[in-house]
Amino acid sequence: MEELDLLKKAWQKDTHTFEQVSESEIYKMLHRKSSSIVKWILVISLIEFGLGALVNLSFNTDDMIASLHAESFAVFLKVLTYVNYAVILWFIYNFYRNYARISTITSTKQLMQDIIRARKTVQNYVWYNLFMIFVSIILGFVIAFIYNPKTELLIYKIEHEDNYKTLSLTICLVIFTIVIFVGFFWLFYRLIYGTLLRKLNANYKELKKIDL
Amino acid sequence: MSDDLEKSFVKQLKENQNIIHKICRLYTNGEEAHNDLFQEITIQLWKAFPKFRGESKFSTWAYRVALNTAITLYRKSTRTVATVTYEGQKHFLSQEDYNHEEEEQIKLMYQAVQQLNDIEKALVFLYLEDKDYTEISETLGISEVNARVKMNRIKGKLKKILNP
Repeated sequence: MEELDLLKKAWQKDTHTFEQVSESEIYKMLHRKSSSIVKWILVISLIEFGLGALVNLSFNTDDMIASLHAESFAVFLKVLTYVNYAVILWFIYNFYRNYARISTITSTKQLMQDIIRARKTVQNYVWYNLFMIFVSIILGFVIAFIYNPKTELLIYKIEHEDNYKTLSLTICLVIFTIVIFVGFFWLFYRLIYGTLLRKLNANYKELKKIDL
Repeated sequence: MSDDLEKSFVKQLKENQNIIHKICRLYTNGEEAHNDLFQEITIQLWKAFPKFRGESKFSTWAYRVALNTAITLYRKSTRTVATVTYEGQKHFLSQEDYNHEEEEQIKLMYQAVQQLNDIEKALVFLYLEDKDYTEISETLGISEVNARVKMNRIKGKLKKILNP
C-alpha cells in the first residue's frame, strides 16, 4: 500500500518534532502515583477481601447458639467456620499469585489474560461470600424456627391461619432479603468492573478474533 | 531503589522518549490525555525497569511496556474521534523534501490510522516502526501468520477509509 509506506517514510524521519520532556520532569513523574486499572483492581480487591472478612467476623455464631441452647448445631457450625477460613485463605493466596504474575513485559494478550484471571478470583470470592451469606440466612431461619422461643408465636400463627397471610409475609421477607443482597452485588459489579474493564474486554475480544 | 538505577533509567527514557510520544499521539486525542498517558507509561516503565537486563535495546523493551500500557492498563478510553482536532498530523509535514501532494496523502493516511481500533493501531505502529512480523506477533501474543493476515486486512480497511 503506497500511502502507508509514504507514512512510514515520514514516520521514521520524524524524530524531533515532539515537545521534549526534560530529565527533571521525568524524575518528577517517577514519584507520581499510577492510575492503571491493575492498581484499581488491587485496591478494590483488598476492600472486597476486607469486607468479606468483616462479614465473617460479625457473624458470631457462638453467642447465638449459647443464647438459644442450640448445642446440637454447634459442632456443625464450628466445622463450617473452619472450612470457610480455609477457603478464604486459599482465595487470598490465589489472588496474590495472580496479581504478582501481572507484568507489562509479557505479550499484550498474556497481560490481558492475567488481569482477567486476577479479577475472576476476586469475583469468585465475592460470589462465595454471597453463597455463604445465603446459607447463613437459611441456617439462621432454621435455628430460629427450631430453637428460638420468640418464633413459637409465629409458628402457631402460621399453623392456625386460614389465609396463609403470615406465611406469605415470612417468605416474602426472606426473598426480599436475598434479592436485595444479590441485587446490590450485581450492581456493584456492573458499575465498578464494567467501567474499569470495558476497554480491556473490548480489546481482548478484538485480539482473540485475530487468532481464531 | 538505588540512585544509579534511577539515573540510568531517566537518561535512557529521555533519549528514547519519542517512541512514547508517538504511541501517545496515536492513542490519545488531546494534549492533556497525551501527557496523562505519557506519565502512566513512564511509571510502568520504571516499575518494570529492574527486570530490564539490557539483553535487548532499551527502545525494543520499551515498545512492549508502552503499548501494553496504552492498550491494556490505561483506564480512559483511548479511541480517537474520527475528526482529529489535535494537530497531530502537522508533525509529519515539517520536512522540506515532501511535495505538496505527498504531504496531503500522508496527512490523510495518518487520519485514517487514527480511526482504527486499539489493536489495529498497535499493529500499524509496529509496522511503521519497521518491526518484522516475528516481533509484532510476540509483542501482541498472536501467531505470526495471523499477524500478517490481520495487517493485510488493516491495509484494506485503510484503503476503504481513504476511498469510501
